[in-house]
Amino acid sequence: MAFLEIDNISSGYGEVQILWDVSLKLERGKLTSLVGSNGVGKTTLLRTVMGLVKPWRGAITFDGREVARTAPYAKASQGLILVPEGRQLFTDMSVYENLEMGAFTSRAKVNFQDNLERIYTMFPILKERSGQRAGTLSGGEQQMLAVARGLMSQPEVLMFDELSLGLAPFLVLELFEVLRRLKAEGLTMLLVEQNVQLALAISDYAYVLADGRVELEGPSREVAQNEHVRKAYLGI
Amino acid sequence: MLDILVASLADGLLLGFVYGIAAMGLSLIWGVMDVINLSHGPIIALGMFGVYLAFNGLGWNPYLTLLLVAVMGLLLGIVIYGVAVHRVLNAPHLSTLLATFSINMIIIGVGTALFTTSPRNVDFSLGSFSLGHITLPWARVAAALAAVLVTALLYLFLYRTRPGKAIRAVANNRAAAELMGIPASRVLALSFGLGTMLAAIAGGLISTFFPFTILAGGRYELKSFVICVLGGLGNPLGALIGGLLLGALEGIIPAFIETSWVPVLEFVLFVVILLVRPSGLLGSKS
Repeated sequence: MAFLEIDNISSGYGEVQILWDVSLKLERGKLTSLVGSNGVGKTTLLRTVMGLVKPWRGAITFDGREVARTAPYAKASQGLILVPEGRQLFTDMSVYENLEMGAFTSRAKVNFQDNLERIYTMFPILKERSGQRAGTLSGGEQQMLAVARGLMSQPEVLMFDELSLGLAPFLVLELFEVLRRLKAEGLTMLLVEQNVQLALAISDYAYVLADGRVELEGPSREVAQNEHVRKAYLGI
Repeated sequence: MLDILVASLADGLLLGFVYGIAAMGLSLIWGVMDVINLSHGPIIALGMFGVYLAFNGLGWNPYLTLLLVAVMGLLLGIVIYGVAVHRVLNAPHLSTLLATFSINMIIIGVGTALFTTSPRNVDFSLGSFSLGHITLPWARVAAALAAVLVTALLYLFLYRTRPGKAIRAVANNRAAAELMGIPASRVLALSFGLGTMLAAIAGGLISTFFPFTILAGGRYELKSFVICVLGGLGNPLGALIGGLLLGALEGIIPAFIETSWVPVLEFVLFVVILLVRPSGLLGSKS
């Protein structure tokens, strides 16, 4: 059974339906990507999975438990963690305090020191800036902090929403290198990206979302070879 | 003339500390959840009656009673949050205004029925002391010290403890806090409770030097608004400094013109600051 299973989810805002019977599976230890153009419902799907948006229909199973109606904080304390779009840091708090808040749940708190050291080796700049207010960091540093805060939560499943958005190419490559290391360590991840090429290059399995529906799915290598995907998303 | 000025300035400043913690309560709730708590005044009055009942009925020391008043204020705030605020939190601002205003009316109605509106006072004197030509009651000094202590504790709580940091995280970005496993609703209830706790403590302190009725909280609520604008929102120290500024003004103004002008000038100041510097004189939040 998949670690996180999204089964025929429909949801939206108010009267406007965004997602239409979307199903998606994250296998344990795999990096799955969800790609598609701007505005097809990728962020809405993540918000629905976390419970920030209530699903209209469908089921979400995480580690064998039905969690479609569970509050976001309760999901986070079970290890389902989202690094949200636009970073959403606690900008008025210090870098260190952001990391502390990442480790708020009791399961993350016990490993705080170990995780902190791991984060600081991964992103040495965050150690240097630990006392600085998060809002004063550069865009790239803020994205690193958002990822680091997510990792401090000791995630079972880590989901990234538009990790590469607005970042300089060298920073994107640096963050993708981090993803590769996490994948090697066996972390289950979902990468939601507009940068289709990179996402397909790094992931094991991919879903293509169009107009709120899953248009195509398969092993990333095959999806990258697909004629339609090549034309529509890769510009080849 | 100078003696009078210095005496009334000192008097006003000491009172300003107490205004400061009343405003801190309003500012905390406003800063964390964007709710203007219109039941702030009656809760200040309940703090006054808490000390009054314990002192007159049971003969308890007013300053020790403050601890109990603080706990009651905290619990009352959590109940008010759960009953009236939580379900309208994401509705337009008018809903939270109406909800907290209803609490205001309920407390005033029940309070009037129980205590009538004849003035009460806590007849407990610590005496007074003289410094040169100035004579000040010890009760004012004690109240100022208590206010400083409360501010320091609030600071330590918000900046050094996990629940305190969670409050700041929720104030800063509620959705992100929830995504990190912070139960935002509980944190909001706690914040509301802390806000009403500060109001109740301020009321308890004021009761040791002014007579009061169940309606007496209103003017301190209004002063809290002025102070919040002076000091900027969501910043406890700003509220304390704003309180001192307002207290100082209240001390100085009557030395030159009639006392009845004090509220007029206060609210002129309020409007001017809103026009010129809406983030508050000391505020950083835009």
